[in-house]
Amino acid sequence: MTENYQSIGKGVIRKDAWEKAVGKALYTADLPVENLSYGVILRSPHHHARILEIDTSAAVRVPGVQAVITAEDIPGEKVFGPLIQDQPSLAWEVVRHLGEPVVLVIARSLKAAEQARESVKIRYQELEPVFDPLEAVQADAPQLHPDGNVVSEIHVGDGDPEIGFQEADVIVEKTFSLPRISPGYMEPEASLAVWEDDGTVTVWVSSQHPFTDQAAISAALNMPVDRVRVKGAVIGGAFGGKEDSSLAILAALGAWKIQGTVRLVNSRRESFLAHPKRHPAHIHYKLGARKDGTITAVQAEAYMDTGAYASYGPAVAMILTETMTGSYRVPHVRVDTFVVYTNSPLSGAMRGFGSPQTHFAVESALDMLAEKVELDPIQIREKNILHPGDQIFTKVTINDSALALTKCLQKGRELVEEFRAVPTPEGKLSGVGIALAAQSMGLGANVPDDSSHKLEWAPDGSVLIYLGSPDLGQGLAAAAEQITAESLGIPFDQVRSLPLDTLVTPNGNVTCASRMTYLVGNALVDASQKLIQALLKGAGRLLDIPADQLNYQNGMVLKPDGSEIPAVEFISRLAEDSITLEAESTFSFPYPEETTPQHLPIGMPHVLYCFGAQVVRVEVDPDLGTVEVTHLAAIHDVGKVINRLGVEGQIEGGVATGLGYALSETMLRKGESWVDSFTEYLLPTALDLPENYQTIILEVPETSGPYGAKGVGEIPLVPTAPAVANALYDAIQVRICDLPITPEKVLGLNKVS
Amino acid sequence: MKEIKVEFTLNGEKIALQSEPNRTLLDVLRQDLGLTGAKDACGGEGECGACTVIINGRPVNSCLVFIGQVEGQQVTTIEGITPQEGYHPIQKAFVEAGAVQCGYCTPGAVLATKALLDHHPRPSDQQIRAGLSGNLCRCTGYNKMLDAVHLVVKGEQND
Repeated sequence: MTENYQSIGKGVIRKDAWEKAVGKALYTADLPVENLSYGVILRSPHHHARILEIDTSAAVRVPGVQAVITAEDIPGEKVFGPLIQDQPSLAWEVVRHLGEPVVLVIARSLKAAEQARESVKIRYQELEPVFDPLEAVQADAPQLHPDGNVVSEIHVGDGDPEIGFQEADVIVEKTFSLPRISPGYMEPEASLAVWEDDGTVTVWVSSQHPFTDQAAISAALNMPVDRVRVKGAVIGGAFGGKEDSSLAILAALGAWKIQGTVRLVNSRRESFLAHPKRHPAHIHYKLGARKDGTITAVQAEAYMDTGAYASYGPAVAMILTETMTGSYRVPHVRVDTFVVYTNSPLSGAMRGFGSPQTHFAVESALDMLAEKVELDPIQIREKNILHPGDQIFTKVTINDSALALTKCLQKGRELVEEFRAVPTPEGKLSGVGIALAAQSMGLGANVPDDSSHKLEWAPDGSVLIYLGSPDLGQGLAAAAEQITAESLGIPFDQVRSLPLDTLVTPNGNVTCASRMTYLVGNALVDASQKLIQALLKGAGRLLDIPADQLNYQNGMVLKPDGSEIPAVEFISRLAEDSITLEAESTFSFPYPEETTPQHLPIGMPHVLYCFGAQVVRVEVDPDLGTVEVTHLAAIHDVGKVINRLGVEGQIEGGVATGLGYALSETMLRKGESWVDSFTEYLLPTALDLPENYQTIILEVPETSGPYGAKGVGEIPLVPTAPAVANALYDAIQVRICDLPITPEKVLGLNKVS
Repeated sequence: MKEIKVEFTLNGEKIALQSEPNRTLLDVLRQDLGLTGAKDACGGEGECGACTVIINGRPVNSCLVFIGQVEGQQVTTIEGITPQEGYHPIQKAFVEAGAVQCGYCTPGAVLATKALLDHHPRPSDQQIRAGLSGNLCRCTGYNKMLDAVHLVVKGEQND
């Protein structure tokens, strides 16, 4: 490669790492404030119950208590929700899940708030709960909402599966069950709201979309949006789970009620019970193929448990549906997906957004097919993978990114052979497995999918980025700074991202969907060009030379006579005249015209895909049923590396989350409650990592991306679980179809279905 | 509840404070002393390690320690290992290795590493993993934390 980038592709050190390493980074719970009042939430002790009476009379008399707030105190909208406004900020009449907020207590001290919370008396009449989406769709199931328990359904197809299955010599048919997964970010949800003297409210959030919070607060408090200012504190991870509002609304409500300052911080238990999880799902998957291994048809039916409120369920269902043929060509397809209300804890957005669920089914089924037609796992995939120009069943044409699939399999074959050569210790059985993955980028056609960001050239020559979408911890700010530095030809250290503040920051839209490097990068490349034009215009005025006769390069203005003047000289002179050099740009995710609903069988198709593969070696103890992942190689196409450390970090962290999905994580119902702590919900630790791990980065340029870059946020966790399941089968010929893979299931001792 | 007087050494300085005895060291650090480098991520169950401090050379979850228990003890927090200027070599290694993403677990992981290296200046890979196994991280997959520890160890070798 002949590229000679200054910032792009380097493993630059993100600037926020220093304050984080010394413990000085201020997360929402850390922000120092004066006259703080403490908010606590009284939550439903029942899965499903009618609220007969809320008696707050004793609570309000607790010394130090400032407000005891119920739904009827909310001056504006009492419900919120990103797609369907069905979730009460505070429940009234009915509670639909354990841990649902009912009463908000504000007090001068945490102790007083907790004491008052205990003094609130609520009479409930318990209602029958339903927890399984397959049961919830039955006619006699308890109904959670007036329009029934099916929130949304998708029925999409291409070709004729009946013909496809007739053409098939071999059929694989299985039901796969996927568990409830916590995003598991280390920082529980928190919000701090300050009621200002001028009648506005300032709210700090740990949120993926502060502008949604702003709108939700404005609606709940029935006050204009411009009187609500939302600021982003440092965020301790989000992974999709912080796309929904909730605490921000309640903190603002508390601040409004007492005309003071209120902080709310969820405990881990509250976070488990009340914030969105990865959807549990049942996927019935049927795959037909010719005896040479060519896939002829896929038919799938999926039931997703979205919990008591819709959250992002209907959108998750889209990607779950769209990825139902994985990375493969399938001529005849039928997918029916149902998003179902239950009395389970909320499910919503989580890293992967439906794709991890389907890939467990698709990639397990591919290996089952391989065995039936006597091909190896690489051969069956080589035979069926997508190639550039192929159209998938959503009528979306896959671009050159599909080249990555061929490369993934080439590399995958080498790794499979390498892992097979590893000796197996006595008493253990070993196996090697592979899985491919496809993950869409972007929100999907026909929903607003754009992102605005602003650059300002400060008089000292540094460039400030008003980053319109928050950095969740993944390093978005550093990528934005690198792209800006490269585009302006100035050093990385000279560019700095500012914390999000809805008062001054453009709306960059929600940080999610593997699209931020792509959207933010494209917007900043464009903003950089505009900034240069603004500079040349200003310089031209000062020099009395037409701007179009000036040029710019690497921080210097070039005059027609060939002499160079540092840009900072013009910027500081212009600042003296109160002229600020700034440029804003909006980048809209490009959706081809043919992706409009009338052309398509699905409402919001995703058109750009990321591809990857993972190869896993496991050692199984046949007596204990334990599965140890000894080797793992993650191969991912990122288009173009922006920050090498960041890309590796995304992949490594994603793999760990994928291993948790495969082997240990599940938020089970436990007696009358749910698993709600890290004591029983087992996130992988440093001891659970494969001893031999490698990241292999492919760079198949995405021509529409900044410097060729695309997203990598979600895909690294997608192929992990099926690769582990396939390796396990390779080792001991036990096919696990419900995650996580536990020793009991490996030994066939699992009593639960 | 009646307050008690507690005297201990915090980050090298003797301090005395009044507190109700049933409060945790984590709460006192964060709420009374303004030392917010120690975090609460698991709800006071000692499961996540985000509140790790070093007490008499050992890494301890400060959410599991009642304030009265530190009477006469040596307590070191993330603020205490950070030099007036610059950074502790472990902090530097975490940053340079890319082991810091959201950062919420970082102070605890840095202190766990310090306690590990104080006892095992040349740890094996397995000792590093075990030393960090009490510190949950959802962002990094731990790989770069292991790299960071190796960086520190190598740095010492060069000295």
